[in-house]
Amino acid sequence: MVKKPTAAPEVIDSVDALEAKLAHMREAQKVFATYTQEQVDKIFYEAAMAANKQRIPLAKLAVEDTGRGVVEDKVIKNHYAAEYIYNAYKNTKTCGVVERDEAYGITKVAEPIGIVGAVIPTTNPTSTAIFKCLICLKTRNAIIISPHPAAAKCTIAAAKVVLDAAVKAGAPEGIIGWIDQPSLELTNKLMSDVDIILATGGPGMVKAAYSSGKPALGVGAGNTPVVIDDTADIKLAVNSIIHSKTFDNGMICASEQSVTALDSIYDEVKAEFQYRGCYFVKKGKELEALREAMFKNGALDHRIPGMPAPQIAELAGIKVPAKTKILIVECTSTDPLKEEFSHEKLSPVLAMYHAKDFQEAVDKAEHLVLAGGPGHTASLYVHPAEREKIALFEETMKACRIVINTPSSQGGIGDLYNFAMAPSLTLGCGSWGGNSVSENVGVKHLLNIKTVAERRENMLWFRAPEKIYFKKGCTPVAIEELGRVMGKKRAFIVTDQFLYKNGNCRAIEDKLDELGIAHDAFYDIQPDPRLQDAEKGVERMRLFEPDLIIAVGGGSAMDAGKIMWLMYEHPEANFEDMAMDFMDIRKRVYTFPEMGKKAYFVAVPTSSGTGSEVTPFAIITDAETGIKWPITDYQLMPNMAIVDVDNAMTAPKGLTCASGIDVMTHAIESYVSIMSSDYTRGLSMRAAKLVFENLPAAYEKGASDPHAREEMHNASCLAGMAFANAFLGLNHSMAHKLGAYHHLPHGLANAVILTRVMRYNAAEKPVKMGTFSQYQYPHALHDYAELGRYCGCTGADDREVFENFITKLEELMDTIGIKKTIADYGVDEKYFLETLDEMSENAFNDQCTGANPRYPLMSEIKELYLDAYYGREPQSYEA
Amino acid sequence: MMLPDSKVELVHRGNKVVYDLGDKIAKVFNETKPVSDVFNEALNLARINETGIPSPKALEVTQLDDGGWALITSKVPGVTLAEKMDAEPQRFGEYLEQFVDLQIKINSYTCTQLNRQFDKYTRMINSLEQINATTRYNLLERLNGLKSKGYVCHGDFNPTNVIVGDDGEFYVCDWAHATQGSPAADAAMTYLLFALHSKEQADAYLELYCERADMPMQVVRQWMSIVAASELARGRKVDEEFLLSWIDVVDYQG
Repeated sequence: MVKKPTAAPEVIDSVDALEAKLAHMREAQKVFATYTQEQVDKIFYEAAMAANKQRIPLAKLAVEDTGRGVVEDKVIKNHYAAEYIYNAYKNTKTCGVVERDEAYGITKVAEPIGIVGAVIPTTNPTSTAIFKCLICLKTRNAIIISPHPAAAKCTIAAAKVVLDAAVKAGAPEGIIGWIDQPSLELTNKLMSDVDIILATGGPGMVKAAYSSGKPALGVGAGNTPVVIDDTADIKLAVNSIIHSKTFDNGMICASEQSVTALDSIYDEVKAEFQYRGCYFVKKGKELEALREAMFKNGALDHRIPGMPAPQIAELAGIKVPAKTKILIVECTSTDPLKEEFSHEKLSPVLAMYHAKDFQEAVDKAEHLVLAGGPGHTASLYVHPAEREKIALFEETMKACRIVINTPSSQGGIGDLYNFAMAPSLTLGCGSWGGNSVSENVGVKHLLNIKTVAERRENMLWFRAPEKIYFKKGCTPVAIEELGRVMGKKRAFIVTDQFLYKNGNCRAIEDKLDELGIAHDAFYDIQPDPRLQDAEKGVERMRLFEPDLIIAVGGGSAMDAGKIMWLMYEHPEANFEDMAMDFMDIRKRVYTFPEMGKKAYFVAVPTSSGTGSEVTPFAIITDAETGIKWPITDYQLMPNMAIVDVDNAMTAPKGLTCASGIDVMTHAIESYVSIMSSDYTRGLSMRAAKLVFENLPAAYEKGASDPHAREEMHNASCLAGMAFANAFLGLNHSMAHKLGAYHHLPHGLANAVILTRVMRYNAAEKPVKMGTFSQYQYPHALHDYAELGRYCGCTGADDREVFENFITKLEELMDTIGIKKTIADYGVDEKYFLETLDEMSENAFNDQCTGANPRYPLMSEIKELYLDAYYGREPQSYEA
Repeated sequence: MMLPDSKVELVHRGNKVVYDLGDKIAKVFNETKPVSDVFNEALNLARINETGIPSPKALEVTQLDDGGWALITSKVPGVTLAEKMDAEPQRFGEYLEQFVDLQIKINSYTCTQLNRQFDKYTRMINSLEQINATTRYNLLERLNGLKSKGYVCHGDFNPTNVIVGDDGEFYVCDWAHATQGSPAADAAMTYLLFALHSKEQADAYLELYCERADMPMQVVRQWMSIVAASELARGRKVDEEFLLSWIDVVDYQG
């Protein structure tokens, strides 16, 4: 039901009348809010035209009403408020959809705020009224004006001109309103009842606006200092200042209040001021008389604002030429306590200071801004090529408008001396001035912008080494390429002691010799590689200066090789920064340094498990602090991988078991990861199938079944590429901590919890799911079943296939001798329970957790650990 | 009641006469004084007594047989600081220091039940007929923008209201204008009261007050037009031109 508004009151002179008026305006604004851009633009056009036409009568009325200022200058202000504001915003979209980006799914919708409460000062009444009314019309807001009592007549007349034209052009009746008989009570009432306040005025009014409880765009007093550098064009400087300072007899808030000239040009500046009709007040009697006439207890006498210079001189009994433009007072103190003239004077009276050099002038200007007009405007005259001086000035001034070689009154309001600065008669002063905005206020400050964000999926990429050699016996071929094609001259081999002494690197070294590639080796790498060892190796590496690094071994040697490569290329890099956890590797805070400028990195795996030859991961332990640094970045990915089973023939049974099941865990976790994609799933599937088919034979027969060995070697690399891009999950997070706290070999730690974590992830009603745009609903059960089917499992539905998949995995693990519980691996119960809470929290915090399809609670991790420790029946993990 | 014949007239000013009754003091108002003002002053004094600020004790408010009302307080034997300053002008500086320290001490008390300074000044500005609506608007706008605080402010703190007791202690009397508010306003009022007689003394006072209170001078100066307006509203007719010249100032403009 639409409430029929009662007629709006004729005269607003009481709280009741104001309330009735606001209720009426609220209805009008509701209608206005439905207008289209075309309707609004027509109203904006007609209103601007009408204000423009009335600029002279309104200027005359403003001077007559307030007794202040210059008619001709007020004409310019009115003209500016109508024409420049129209021109600046005529094409601005302010209604409905104002911005749309299909690719990113972002739409911006502009809506009006409601009723704008405008407080308008005596200094610029008609132009400010025109300005505020026009920007409200353009934004479909209603506006109610509280004029200053000394300027009520002209302010209301200006608002009425705009209102009449707007209504004629189709705007709702009463969309612009005003208080006819202003009082502070009504002003305060207005401020507390509107939706936003556009307050222009003195500090009292601005403070009242900010404390009204409504959002406010308030501006404060200015105290614009000018610095004239000795490189400045003095004629331009002095005449610009005169032009600006005399404008409307100095009532623009951005107007110059003081000039600081360098000693070397001071007399020249002074002479130019005198030549152009400014009067320097004589020190002593004249100066004190002027002070007496202009200030009362440090405050400006009410007669002064907007008074012409000769009249002010007359008040003080100073005889000056009749057409004197500005009274200039030469001062020393910039402290308003000691020197009233250092403050805002709202009249053609200017303070002038000496400075021995540019720095001193800037210091004075800084002080003047802070003391009298924080956040407002500062002005500098300098040769345009003096970029350093301009930079010093802009860095130092706590002013939101810094104008260079520009009259500040006209420059500060924008679009007159610089055409990229928004035109406005309400100038924000930032937090220095206690304001919420620091720029020139315009239409954007009177809109509520709604952002409509449609769901989009994360951009992804697939990363792998530029070359992967595979097939049995490919190593010498690859080395040949390194030498003959890539022209590598100096190779540095990183490996472990066992492999080196066992002769596993000999084939590589022989080939290097054959190619005439000088080589050196570092083989002091142990399982869980230590930072201290890597540092020793790097020292040697630096002496040798390789252009090729070949890491030969299992995960440890390859990880140590990556870290040494990093330290060799970037001795300045900081592990703490590089090891910082990330939510999305593409958005991480730390930017990894670029690798490969000094050496090409080749990884040669000798076990079939970690996949480190194709991953961006490396873990290194600081033996001094015990801290494990997991370092991840695609910069760490080897440039080349040589996946040649000839290098992995000798792995013992235990290693084959542990690393083989690690491959399976990589395949399964990367398959259900929230970051998995069609690019990674194919790799995961094939890897899982190869493990099922070949791990038992590789385990049982070892080197006597080279085919099974080779398939496992390939499976390891395929799974590595899958999880290098799709990442892993909770299984790995938990296994990492079992390794850290209870020294379970990594592969076995994965295996002992594998099927339990799968059940946990397969819940169709998890407590929480992982956060990733592509992951739309919990579907790990389906994914596991899909992977199971590929590996040969069948069943009536996903659940049944899943159960068969679990059974098949358990059979595989039985075959290769994996135990059923954590307890079976000899983990002490008491110590396990003691460390359980900490271990659960650390598993939760592990980098791998973020990609898990189910976002785990720490309590859930703890339950999973307990179940796996005691070998309890799997429970339902549904919420 | 009747005042005893032994009463000694101490002060006769405007609509009030102050008598020494021997062990008590009677402040007698003629019938033009609103009776609520008399009770308000008694209430203010009672509240000040409760804060522990050394002051005469409020004893009684009573109507006299001639129709006027009187506030009866305890008597503090001693002389006023003003008398001391007049008697020993060479010691003015010393007395001024004591005076300023006493004011700062009073300003450190709080009394949540006293009238609010903001309300009192708003009322006084609104009651002014000597100035036009625009000037009142400017004054109220300025008052609105000033920080309101909650410290005891005497409102008429000058050396005639400070008694140097025979016991050597300082006592403060005449709490008719007491409020809780901003000490800076209290200092501005004292400055004004000095300035009505001597600009030199006023400046000496302000400099010393700001130094001792560690208060920037412009914080006090911001209040000057407002205290001048409130002084004007007391309608004492003297110094009207002087007060008006203080009132008619403008705030800096944005």
